[in-house]
Amino acid sequence: MIACTCLVQAGQISAETQGALRESIDGFARRALGAPAEITWTEVPRNSGYTANAPSTSSIVSIRANAKLDQPRRVTLLEELCGLWMEQTKCSLNEIVGVISDPQES
Amino acid sequence: MPLYLCNAAKGAIDDDAKRKIAADVTRIHCDVTAAPPDFVHVFFLEESDFVPLNGQTILLIGSIRGGRTDEQKAQIVREIGESIRAHTGVAPDKTFVTTTDTPASWVMEGGDILPEPGEEDEWLVAHKAKIKAQS
Repeated sequence: MIACTCLVQAGQISAETQGALRESIDGFARRALGAPAEITWTEVPRNSGYTANAPSTSSIVSIRANAKLDQPRRVTLLEELCGLWMEQTKCSLNEIVGVISDPQES
Repeated sequence: MPLYLCNAAKGAIDDDAKRKIAADVTRIHCDVTAAPPDFVHVFFLEESDFVPLNGQTILLIGSIRGGRTDEQKAQIVREIGESIRAHTGVAPDKTFVTTTDTPASWVMEGGDILPEPGEEDEWLVAHKAKIKAQS
C-alpha cells in the first residue's frame, strides 16, 4: 500500500469530489508506484487553517513512495498529482501543496 | 511548506487564540529563517488521531524545509512554545513543540519545486511571474 495523507479545509471539498479524488489518487498510486493507495483524509476545522497569516484555502496531499525516486521522476509525479487535484477540485495552483517523499530509511 | 500542524485537546485553543498563534508562528518562522510568509501554513486540529497528543494538551509539529541550523530550529521551537502558552494559558509541561525536516526537493507548491533555503527571493520572483503569465 502507498500511504497518502490529504489535509483539506473543512467545507471546501464536497463528499462527491472527495470520492472522485480518492479514486484518482488510488489510480495514480497504482499506475505510478505499482500499489494501491491507503488514504488518510483529515479536515482542518473552520477558522483553524491559516496560510500566509490569512484564512487558508490550501490543501496538502502527501504520498510516501515505496522506492527511492530520482528527482526528474519525482517532479513528473508531483506535476501529475497536483494536476489531478486541481482538475477534480478546480482549485488554483497556489492552493495545492504536493509532497512525494522517499521511503523511510531503516 | 512549512506546515505547522497543531493538535489540541478539545477547547484548549479558541478561535481567537488560533488566529494569534498563527500570526506568531508565521512571524517567528519568517524572522528566524528569512523565508517569505507566502507559503507558511498553520493548521489547527482538535483531538485528531492524525498527530496523536500522547498525553499532551497541545502538540505542534512544524514540517520545515531541510537545511535550517539547529540554532534556528531551537529558536523556532522556543518562541512558538512561548506564543502557545501566552495565548492559551496551558502549562509548559502540557505543551510540546518540535520541528521535522523535509527536503525542499520533495515538495511542489504553486506548481514549482520549492527552493532550497536561501534561494527564496529569486524563486518567488520567478514563481509570481509564472503565475501572472498564466492568469
